[in-house]
Amino acid sequence: MSRRSLIAAILATAVVTAIVSVSVTRITGQTSRPARTSDGKPNFSGVWQVANEANWDLQAHEARAGAVTQRGVYPYAYAEVPAAPVLALGAAAGVPGSIGVVQGDKQIPYTAAAAMRKADNAAHWIDRDPELKCYLPGVPRATYMPYPFQIVQSGPKIQMIYTFANAARTIHLDNVVGPPDDTWMGHSVGRWEGDTLVVDVTHFNDKTWFDRAGNFHSDALHVVERFTPISADALRYEATIEDPKVFSRPWTIAMPIYRRLEPDIQLLDYPCIDFTEEFMYGHLRKQQLVKHWEGDTIAVDIRRKVPPGEQLFDWYGK
Amino acid sequence: MRKRLLPVLGVAGVILAVIVVLKVAPAGSATPQGSRTGWGDPDLQGIWTDDYQTPLQRPAKYATKELFTDEERAELDRQRAGILRRDQRVEVGSERDVAGAYNAVFQSIKHTGKRTSLVVDPPDGRIPELTPAAKERAATDRQFRLALLQATQTCKDNDAACAGGKYGPPSPRRAEVPPFYNTGRLNRSDGPEDRSMTERCMAAVMPDFGGYRRIVQAPGTVSIFYDVGQGQGWQRVITLEQVPHLPSSVRQRFGDSRGHWEGNTLVVDVTNFSPKSDFMGARENLHLVERWTRVDAKTLEYTVTIEDPTTWTRSWTVKQEMSRQDDQANRIYYEPRCHEGNYGLPALLSGTRAEEDAFKAGKGPDPATKDSATDFGTEGGVDALTGGG
Repeated sequence: MSRRSLIAAILATAVVTAIVSVSVTRITGQTSRPARTSDGKPNFSGVWQVANEANWDLQAHEARAGAVTQRGVYPYAYAEVPAAPVLALGAAAGVPGSIGVVQGDKQIPYTAAAAMRKADNAAHWIDRDPELKCYLPGVPRATYMPYPFQIVQSGPKIQMIYTFANAARTIHLDNVVGPPDDTWMGHSVGRWEGDTLVVDVTHFNDKTWFDRAGNFHSDALHVVERFTPISADALRYEATIEDPKVFSRPWTIAMPIYRRLEPDIQLLDYPCIDFTEEFMYGHLRKQQLVKHWEGDTIAVDIRRKVPPGEQLFDWYGK
Repeated sequence: MRKRLLPVLGVAGVILAVIVVLKVAPAGSATPQGSRTGWGDPDLQGIWTDDYQTPLQRPAKYATKELFTDEERAELDRQRAGILRRDQRVEVGSERDVAGAYNAVFQSIKHTGKRTSLVVDPPDGRIPELTPAAKERAATDRQFRLALLQATQTCKDNDAACAGGKYGPPSPRRAEVPPFYNTGRLNRSDGPEDRSMTERCMAAVMPDFGGYRRIVQAPGTVSIFYDVGQGQGWQRVITLEQVPHLPSSVRQRFGDSRGHWEGNTLVVDVTNFSPKSDFMGARENLHLVERWTRVDAKTLEYTVTIEDPTTWTRSWTVKQEMSRQDDQANRIYYEPRCHEGNYGLPALLSGTRAEEDAFKAGKGPDPATKDSATDFGTEGGVDALTGGG
């Protein structure tokens, strides 16, 4: 190759580079969003959300008639019918099926004692799931709850802001002193492995759950998360869960997370402390709003007259 | 021809490449006012707090005095150090004693600041007068609160907390719905709504002049975590995109923030507040214009112009200087977990139900004669900075 063609080749490369640099700049709102940050890392800043059923149950499951069910005519689990807490909501309160997000053999490796507790948790979902009380969701659950979350990616700090319960966490990519106590959202320390953001999360309490199926952990929980770009608008999320008090070995969940592409997308408040006061404290009111509290038991009495014109035969009669 | 075209394209490419690089980082690494982020925005990041104690409004005794001298600040610090309220007890074993349980450990006293008020406009350092309608709202609210206090020792003793009220038998108004969505402590515990936003773990308001902020930025976004109250912190996201505010039908406790840069200053317009949010009597009509400026490596200046024509007769402005805290050694613990550990609220409600049952059984006083609204915690020591007018 002559010196002249070499120069030409270098310059041609520059052209291609310049064109690529321009073309990977996408438009959101009025501001361009480059695929990489100014320090050359994948740009995760923006609003994201999963599109899966992991918050119902990390494991593969078929659809169910209701979030709370009871025995119907038959003694089979597959023939249960919706129970009082959700009955009036009809098909809107069922549980969607899922192929599951647990990797490998798809099993969650509980110890024998922990497996019994998981089953008990599932049977007492509405009494025990911290989500119903608007408690901080913990990690990894915050990631795959059915609400958008936002990543604000600076250099040494990455802030993750979740719609649910206005929860947030700071991922420290620099050296920082750990928290003086255990936490709901964990203490997150991050590092880059190539284009993957690896986050080591420790200092958990034992109060958060992984899903609405009663999957739980202890205060020995250790989570290693991996955020890897698939494209400018999708990333692969992986979390390896280790807790020797509850699981016989580490196990891993994985799922894609998608960018919310609405140009004016923003997180809106989900002020659920307000929303749960009746649920949590209603039985302590002087004049109760739910008329059938029996002590601290909600005795749900569903009385819903189908309005005139909304009966099935009315629909057919039209 | 082909051989000539390539170099031409190449030169064009280089120019393009340089333009792209310049676009990503339009300015140098630092300005006289402070550092810049890697993408060229003013860098407001870090943990910030106001290290000094400054009254929101200028106490009347300082009249037209805007600034303290160093000697005055030292003297005020000396006087204020003498009223630490350490282990102060009020009528040991009484409800007042329990109500005043927060001692100096909980009530940190900062050094006296250089200004006599956080309010810088109006120039007298005072919050402007309320509009006639707002005065009427405040009076209506006050009358309801006083009616609920009527049968208590607080009113019998003519305590300041009962000013404007009278002592008498329990008021029939105790059965009424409050005239406005309640955010303060009522002397009643019929349900959670009677208790203050603090007791319900929702005390945080915008704007806020206390606590700590952690600011993290990205291109187009500034996020601020407010570590305020006792585990009642909250996370805010300010978009710098040029998009209009939310529709007026969408209301949020902390409003809706839209920011932009004016030189080195982040200017944020905040609207869409909720009727459930309450900043000194202003609710859904509150409008804020905030200005955040990094004036030097260690100082962040915050000004906010507060406007609500349905509450105040004119807008007013607060100015505060916050200093940068050590990021690495910082030990503030900011997880907002008040609600997760809120045993106080159900205990207060169930305690009141037990008192009602005991009263019915002739085994205790009428709960209406007890005071669970007045904060007696500040009795027994007047802060020389704010006290006496």
